[in-house]
Parts: sequence; C-alpha cells; structure tokens
Amino acid sequence: MKIEDVVCTFCGCLCDDLVVEVEGDMVVNVENGCTLANKKFMGNNRLKTPIKRDGGNWKKVGLDEAIQTAAGILLDADRPLLYGWSGTHGEAQTIGVHMAELLGAVIDNTSTVCHGPSIMAIQEVGHPGCTLGQVKNRADVIVYWGANPIEAHPRHMSRYTTYADGFFLKEAFRERKVIVVDIRKTETANIADEFIMVEPGADYALLSALRAIVRGKGDVLPRTVAGVEKEQLIRVADICMSAKFGAMFFGLGLTMSRGKYKNIRNAIELTEELNRHTKFTISPMRGHWNVYGSNEVFTWITGYPFAVDFARGIAFYNPGETTSVDILKRGECDACLVVGSDPGAHFPGDCCRHLADIPTIQIDPHVNATTHLSRLQIPVAVTGIDAEGTAYRMDGVPIRTRKVIDTTYPSDSEVLDKIYQIIRKET
Amino acid sequence: MSELLIKNACVIDPLNGINGDVMDIAIRDGRIVEDVGSSAEVIDADRCLTLPGGIDSHTHVCGTKVNFGRYMSPEDMRAGRTSRNGSMHVTSGYSVPTTFGNSYRYSTMGYTTLLEGAMAPLEARHTHEEFTATPHQDMMANTLFDGNWSVMEAVREKDVKRAAAVVAWILSAAKGFAIKLTNPGGTEAWGWGEDVSSIHDTVPYFEVTPAEIIETMIRANELLRLPHSVHLHCNNLGVPGNYRTTLDTMNLVPDLNSRRQSLYLTHLQFHSYGGTTWRDIDSRSEEIIRVVNASPHIVIDMGQIMFGRTTTMTADGPMEFKLYMLHHNKWSNHDVELETGSGIIPVYYSKKSVVNCVMWAIGLELALQAKNPWQCLLTTDNPNGAPFVKYPEIIALLMSKRYRDQECALLDPRTEKRVPLMAIDRELDWNEIAIMTRAGQSRALGIESLGKGHLAPGAEADVAIYPIRTTEIDPSAQFQQVMAGFSRTMYTIKRGRVVARNGEVIVEGANSTIWVKPRVSHEYDLGNDPEFAKKFQQYYTVRMRNYPVQETYLPRGVCIETEADL
Amino acid sequence: MRVTLETKPRKKPNIPIEAESIIPHNFLRGTDLSVYEGNKQRSLDEIFFITVEGPAVSPDQVEVILKGDTGRIKRVGEYMNAGKIVVEGDIGMHCGNFMSAGQITVRGNADAWLGREMRGGEIVCHGNAGHYCGAGYRGEKRGMRGGRLEVLGNAGDFLAEYLCGGEVIIHGDTGDLPGVEMRGGKLVIEGSCTRPCGNMSGGTCLVFGQVHDLLPTFEKRERTQVDFRGMNVTMDTYHGDVANRGKGSLLVRSGDHA
Repeated sequence: MKIEDVVCTFCGCLCDDLVVEVEGDMVVNVENGCTLANKKFMGNNRLKTPIKRDGGNWKKVGLDEAIQTAAGILLDADRPLLYGWSGTHGEAQTIGVHMAELLGAVIDNTSTVCHGPSIMAIQEVGHPGCTLGQVKNRADVIVYWGANPIEAHPRHMSRYTTYADGFFLKEAFRERKVIVVDIRKTETANIADEFIMVEPGADYALLSALRAIVRGKGDVLPRTVAGVEKEQLIRVADICMSAKFGAMFFGLGLTMSRGKYKNIRNAIELTEELNRHTKFTISPMRGHWNVYGSNEVFTWITGYPFAVDFARGIAFYNPGETTSVDILKRGECDACLVVGSDPGAHFPGDCCRHLADIPTIQIDPHVNATTHLSRLQIPVAVTGIDAEGTAYRMDGVPIRTRKVIDTTYPSDSEVLDKIYQIIRKET
Repeated sequence: MSELLIKNACVIDPLNGINGDVMDIAIRDGRIVEDVGSSAEVIDADRCLTLPGGIDSHTHVCGTKVNFGRYMSPEDMRAGRTSRNGSMHVTSGYSVPTTFGNSYRYSTMGYTTLLEGAMAPLEARHTHEEFTATPHQDMMANTLFDGNWSVMEAVREKDVKRAAAVVAWILSAAKGFAIKLTNPGGTEAWGWGEDVSSIHDTVPYFEVTPAEIIETMIRANELLRLPHSVHLHCNNLGVPGNYRTTLDTMNLVPDLNSRRQSLYLTHLQFHSYGGTTWRDIDSRSEEIIRVVNASPHIVIDMGQIMFGRTTTMTADGPMEFKLYMLHHNKWSNHDVELETGSGIIPVYYSKKSVVNCVMWAIGLELALQAKNPWQCLLTTDNPNGAPFVKYPEIIALLMSKRYRDQECALLDPRTEKRVPLMAIDRELDWNEIAIMTRAGQSRALGIESLGKGHLAPGAEADVAIYPIRTTEIDPSAQFQQVMAGFSRTMYTIKRGRVVARNGEVIVEGANSTIWVKPRVSHEYDLGNDPEFAKKFQQYYTVRMRNYPVQETYLPRGVCIETEADL
Repeated sequence: MRVTLETKPRKKPNIPIEAESIIPHNFLRGTDLSVYEGNKQRSLDEIFFITVEGPAVSPDQVEVILKGDTGRIKRVGEYMNAGKIVVEGDIGMHCGNFMSAGQITVRGNADAWLGREMRGGEIVCHGNAGHYCGAGYRGEKRGMRGGRLEVLGNAGDFLAEYLCGGEVIIHGDTGDLPGVEMRGGKLVIEGSCTRPCGNMSGGTCLVFGQVHDLLPTFEKRERTQVDFRGMNVTMDTYHGDVANRGKGSLLVRSGDHA
C-alpha cells in the first residue's frame, strides 16, 4: 500500500510530501525523501520490550512494572531532570510539562545543546522571521551563515530556497543570489555566489562590521575584519541592501561558536538594520523534527521555551543555571527521565558520567548511547511511523504527523500518561 | 443530571430586558431552565450583581504570535507567577500570560467566552492546541484573510462568489469562526517591506485596493451567512491623521444584515487620531463617533489603552515595524506565506507622553460619546492597549467622572487642549456596562442563538456573580469598589458548574471551541477545484491534504453550519 | 546582632539550596525561616547550625555570617536593603540579586550572577566571580542600576552585561565580552579581557590590562590621561559601538592592546 503526503520526522524541515510504501507492519519504500528520511523510515533496530538493569545485566520487564519503577524513581527524587522532548509529539510534551509541575522537576529540551542561544538572543532583541513559503515565493537573496544544509537539512534548498521555484521567482536557481558564511568551504559554500570565509570564533566581529557598513559607518572599519577583506563585506552588504526580499538562515556554526547567543543577537540586529532598507528575515535552522514544538508547548504552559525549573512550585528559567548540561556538570540532579533524544551521544563526558551515576530512565524506541547510561528503558512507537501527533516545523508551522503502520508499541503519550497518573495520585 | 439554583440574584440581562431585578436562576445540565428540584445545589447570591458570563469579542490569547510574545519575553513571564495550587496549574506572565494564566484570570473576572482576534489559517492548528489549554472559556478564532492571495485574485476578478468560496474552504479547514481583515492589503505589501497608506492604494502585483478587499469581503460574508460580520482592523493603525482612513472605511459599509452589524471595526481608539505627526496628534473621536452614531450597521470596540507596561502583537506587520523604529526595543515579525503577517513589540504607555495620554483619552471618549452601547464594546485589544486585567479599571473610569478627573490631573498638561474628554460628563450605568461586556458581544458575534450572553431559559448557564450591590453603591463616588468588585467574582459559573470562587479557580475546565462551516454547492467547493489545488501545491510549503485542522484538535468542538448562497 | 549560619552535612551536597530568606532584615523576627533544597522546603535549622548573639532593633544592626560548605547556596542577600552579610567561604549563584543597600562580603569565590540587577549597596568578593557578574536577567533591558561591586580576583564572561548604573571594579582579568550591551555606569577592569563592550550604547569602561580582539566597530578618538592608583596613565579612547547608535566610551591603556 502506498501512502501519500507523509510527514518526515527527521529534521526541522518536516517535509510533508513523502510517499511511503508499506507491507504489513514494514515500510518497504520511501519516495521524495532524502537519505536521512529513508534511513529513518526503513530503519529497524527497535527494542522489543521494556528492560531494566539487574546488577550488571539487563532484564526484560512488563510495561506495568516499568511504569511503576519509573514513577517511583521520579517521586523519590529531590531534583529530578526531565530531558529531551524534541523527538516526540506535542501531546507527549504537554504531559511531560505537567509531570514536571507536579514533581517540582527541571524540564529541558534539546535546545540546550542546539538553538538555545538563538532563543536567548531572540529574548533580547526579538525575531524578524517568516514562514518558509514566504522565502520560497519571494526571496532573491539567501544567506546561509554557519549552516550546511546540504548535509544537515538535505531538502532545505530544494523545497524552500535556492532551487525552489516560487510565485515571484519562476527560475529560482538563476534569479537568486546565495551568500554562504562559514569557517571552511563546505558543500553548500561550493554553490554560493559569494562565499565569506570567516576566522573561527570571529563571527561576532564580522556581524558588527556588516552592521556598521549598513549604517553608513564603514569608514570606521579596518582593512580586514576577521580575515575578510573590507571590500568583500561592502559588496555583500550591497547585495543584501539591494535585495527585494532577503532571507538569512543560520546554524550551529553561529549558535555554538565563541560568543554564542551574542552572535545570534548580532545577526538579528543586522537583519533589523537591513529592514530599514529593504525586506529581510532571519531564521534558525532547527535540527530535530519537533524541537520547535517542544519550545512552543513549554512556552504556552510555563512561559519559557526550555530550561524550566519547577523546584519551588513556580516556573523559573535561567539558561546557564537551569539548563541540563549545567545541572549535570554540577552533579545536581538525582534522577533523570530522557524522552525523545539521546544525550548519551551528544552530552559532554562528565554529564554522561553523572547520568550513569543516578537512576536514569529512557523512553525511546531504539537502543542508543543513552541506553548504556540508563537503568530502565521503555520502548515506544515512533511518531510519524507507528504513532501520530503534532509537530512544529522550524518556522513554527504546525503539522500533524501521520501514522503509516500499526504496531503494538504504546506511544510516548500513552506511556507518559500512565506515569503521570501514578505521580498525580501520589502528590 | 446536575442542578444548581442561584437565589437572590440581582440580575442584569440586557438581551432579555432585565435590569436589576432580584430573582432566582435555575440551572440544569449546563443550561438555564425555568426551575429545578428541591435537591439542587443552592448558591445564595445575596442580592449581588449577577450577569451573563463575560464575553471578550477581541483579545489575543492563543496562537503563534501570542506564544511568540511569551517566548521572547522572559522578563514579562517573571512579572506574574503562581505555583501549582489545587486544580490550578503553574502560571507565568503579566501582559502575555501562559494559557492557564489567561484562563484563570479571565475566569476570576467572570469571563466565560473569548474570541481570539487573529489566527493565520496556515498556523490554525497551533491556535487550537492553545485553545484546549485555555480550559475555562469557550473559544472562537477570527481567521485572517487580509493578504490571502486567492481572495485578492477573486477581488481582482470582481468575483464575490469566488471570494466567498475561498473563505468557506479556508474557514472550514482552519476551524475558524469569522473573517478577520488586518490592515487589508498592507500585510501583503509588507511581504516586500512596504505598506498601504489609504484604502485606495493598490497592493503590489495584485492590483487591488483595501477598499475593494473590504467591500468584497463584507458581501462574501453575507453570502456565506456567517454568524459574525467581517471583523476589520483598519489600515493605518496608529498613524497620526488616520481618522480619515477610518471615516473613508466606514463610508464603504453597506447595510446587509437585519440581525446584526455588517462591519465590526476593532480597537477603534488606534484609528481615531488627528494631526500629521506624533508632535501634533490629537483626538478625532467626535468625528468618528458621529458616523458610528449615524450607522446602526456598524459596531466598534474601544481598544482602550491603559498606562503601564504591555506587549503589542498584531497581524499588522508593517505597523509593528514602524512602532519598533520609535521604541528601539525588541521586535519580532512573522510573515505567513500567501496569507498574512504579524509583529510583536513590547511597549510602555506613560502618563508623561502626551501621545499616550491622547490615546488613553480617545478610547474613553469613544465609549462615552457612543449613543448606543450595543455599538461600542469594551476591549483593550488585549494585550495591545493593556492586559485584560485592567478591564475593571476601565469600567470604573466609564462609570465615574470623578475618577476620570482624578486621573486626568496626572496627565501631561498638553493633553487637555487635544482631547474633548475633560468636557464629557456622562457616566455609564450598570446596564450599559453589562451590554458593553457581554450582551453586546453576544449579538455582534451572532452567538445569541447558541445561548451566549443572556440568562433566559435555554441559554448556556455561564453566569458571573460579582460582590457588588448596585443599589447600595454610587459608582460615581465609590469607583474603588466598582473596580474591586469587577476584578474578582464571588462565583463564576461555566456551563452550570462553579469554576471560580472569590478569585480562585476550583476545578479543571472543559471548554468548547465554536467554529463555522459554510455549506456551499459542489461548484463552489474549492476542495474539488483542480486550479486551486495546483496553485496550493505550487506555492504553499505544506500539502493541501495536510493543511486542514483535524477534528481531534477540537475535543469539544461546536460547529455552526451555515447554508451559503453559493 | 550577629547571626552565624554554619552548614550541616547533607546527604546530597550537590543539590542547590535557594536561600533568598537569608537577608539581615528577616532575622529581626527570629530564625524561623525556610529555604528550598531542590524541590523540598526545609527550615533553616535543617540546613544550618544557627547561633544568634546580641540584639538588634533595625536591619542595619544585623550581621549574618555564613560558614562551611556554602558554594551551592543561591540567592543569599537577594532584595537585601540593610545590614551586612559575610560569607567566609564560597557562595552560590545570585548572591545579592536586586540588593538596594547594605554590604556583602564574600571571602571565597562567588558563583555566577553575583549582584544581578543590583540597585545599591556594596558587594566585595575577595576571590573570583563567575559569569554574568553584575549583569541583568534574560530579556530585561536593564542590568545593574546602582551600587558598587568589587572583585579582587578574576571575573567570568559577560561581566556587567546591560550595566546601567553604579560601578563594577575587577582587579584581575575577565572572560569574554565584558560590558556587552552596557548602557551606563562605570566598569573598571584592571587586568586583561577579550572583546570588551560589544554593542555598548552608553557608559564608560576602563581597561588597564591588555585588550584582546578589540571589536572593529569602535571609533578611535584622542588620547586621555586618567588616574590609576595614584599614577597618571595614558589611555586610548574609543567611541562606540558604531554597530548600533552607541555613545559609550571605552578607554584602554595605551600601547597595551594586541
């Protein structure tokens, strides 16, 4: 059976035009997807039943026992951490936040290690953005800064930017100018009209310089900034200012390099400055398929997009203090629930060691690096394959993911709701 | 079966012509009935003011831009925090509270029904998700059509029926309630960083004018027989001299509906400015209200501003950018492909700013000069003019000349020469306030027949009992009591159940979402139109099949099906 | 009155304690106060051995002394408006938040957000201060507005971010972007730093050590002489940040920046 208009739950692009062919409870073919999508839909290393550590070994346990154990661990803790959430649907995220409220826990999502700095910058200066279709239909200048979509978001350029024909750009590839800023010549840089090679850690200075040029203060600048000739900067500023509609996209090369959120702030302020001359927008290249959804859900319930600490009953937010990596580094938390992410693969070593030292529970379909740090794992259905639910694309467009096969795995929300109900009775 | 009897209620129910009678209200299974059995639960209202549940006909509480207002404002979030308490969830925020924060604060003020002022259809799912997390009010969503490409194409072709067909398809898909036009044409121009500055400017590429969009949509609205009229945020919001645009707009409106207005103009305070710059801005409320008074087919809401800190948010992207250039604080913008835009900036309205003082005066003047309270409803365009928690203060200002004088004395002294407020003696009465906060909304939104905004048998049992004895206080002098009384109900009853008592919410809510589905003939069902589908796939970035909001997002959806003339 | 709080051993010593109740004013009414240890509310005497010596009728007569393992105790002195706090060892985050008057002395190191959004009074830290010393809160446009904050050691990144008023003096070196978004007040760095005053719009920053990676958007003006510990020192003067409409002054000891 072929199912059309399937939503890909891999990256923040949330492409919704996949055609998936299924036989029984197996996906046998995927059309329109990128290699990452194909791998996700066709992958097959699911954990079969809940497992619990028994001394040095894993023991299979029933779902009810696993749920009881998980609830017990969380209820016993003085500073539980509920981490992950970007790899699950909004309905599960909602239960997670309500659970955190009851437990007096810290709840945090993977923004902590990806676009947290972008959020912090937005909180200082706002965010002039737009939906991706606005870029597709109008943008004649595209900037990728510290982002390499060819590898990380393979269809971003063909669906939304460089190669995507839009209403006002019938031959996009010829009519659009692409500017790439990076510390090395990436695959994406190869197709750029202008490539700016910036010295590592010097993006902030470069952005400040561009702002000065756009403000007509270029004369203050030295001959080169961050390894880039002033002439090139003036040329690039001109391209941006004479655009009819410009769109900047930035990735972890900007958020996670020296200066972090101040880089993003500077890029946003450059965008604001450009809006005095023309139309310009800026957007983060969000990684996980529903990380933006976790920011949205956390925000409407708690007021904050990530790193929310309920220890004192009220919601408190302060990245650097209430963020998972910081909490783990300081060895603060005494229990952890991981949902829809794999911190074992992404967190620094000392954080992983602490996760292994405390009772860590993982809710995830697959055996992964975090499994090795956990005491209990509950396998679940994969949203977008055998479970459905809400996801938010990197530009904030909400899309309902489809379920394409039937399996016996419970969904994230079913498992979380069972744990939540026990916690609710006990608190 | 659950029964409730409210005894000794001093009822004001303008839709049924009841003005201050002390009576009992019987409720069974969520509806008002003639009487109940002896085993009914009894509430003694003790001769306190009892009104139908409050209805806000224009507020921004749910959806993409509201949530972005929260997202970008941790400083606002920390300005109002409560912890989990009984069945109340944690809340954060002052001007843009979390969904539960909005819901609890509205509920403790006696509000049971809200119209979200702006929903982009592409992002409708988000609004509906937040609706379910705003559990103590029935919700509706104004659906944005101001920059809709298919609508503008139909307008260009002068094809009202085609425009109506677009509205029908999108309204059903987005599960929206009414047509909202925010700076019509301007939001599309903003796609190029431009704006329109009069209703006769043309929109780039589409070659239509705001006037044409507005007129076409008013007619399309009636072809679809929608409960509410077109809900318009005029062009040129916040621009000195914009009262001319507003007058031009009001002159366009045909009278097409005998039950209600043909056009609802929202937050008119922001559209009643004279002068040419911020330096010589003055009030033109008199010119505006003269037309309103002569036009029974127009309803407006105030859009009152109140002094202090708040966050402005609107689909009017270009306006927010202009505001940002004045304030240099933070600025967010979010254009929505093929449909609309939006912007957000925080502001501080100050008594030291003559501009802000003039704005403050205009809102009050509109309400005090409108002859017919059914035509001028109380709003702050929450949170644009002020957070809705300021409503009790506004009520007190409208009911007390003394309070107004006291406040006027604190304004920038230049204000007096620019506004007529100080010369207005009128003080509104309880009945007028009841009209401006619920009965008028019910009629204007066309939800009277759903049992909203009144207390006759058959009505929804949404009731607010305030700790105010109207016969014992003189609102003109005791405005502090008026304010305190409207801030906190003794009881808020939603669908027959006490949900809030003395300022505390005591149960988990279970609201409904009211949406509209116009039934059109096969020929006008765009779901069957290959041309529409082709354009959709080419220019939107989501597939047409993934666009409509599934009913699972409206766990207690109430669908109003209309028989369209199409 | 002298109140001495000495920490008791804890089962989970890494769990932070939130102790905004520890301000001189509160001890006028006794020691029946509470703090949070993780998500558990604890009475003060579950966490500390408490001794109280002498009387006091007003908060300025109260001195609070903290001893022991105090490096995880947060928010000590938050909203303090009079009196003295002395921390014999290290102190946790947010010490002296919003303080408006009085004195805090930290003999050890202070964790991040020392004197956040401070309005008045004085904080002296004898050791090092963490990141965001004398800074603001997320999303807020104004950081420290008044008072004096002195660190005898080094300070971390984002020192005095959004500084609006008052004085911050660091005897040692600082991390990256001190004085970033600074709008007013005075920031003195006696040691070295990188990228000072990014995006500053007002106020004055003096750096007597080396400046690394001076941002390109500062406009050089004439040199000036300032007094530094009794010496007359020549400073290069910069105006900026011209990336925005900045009108701040950055003074750097001449010949010393690379």
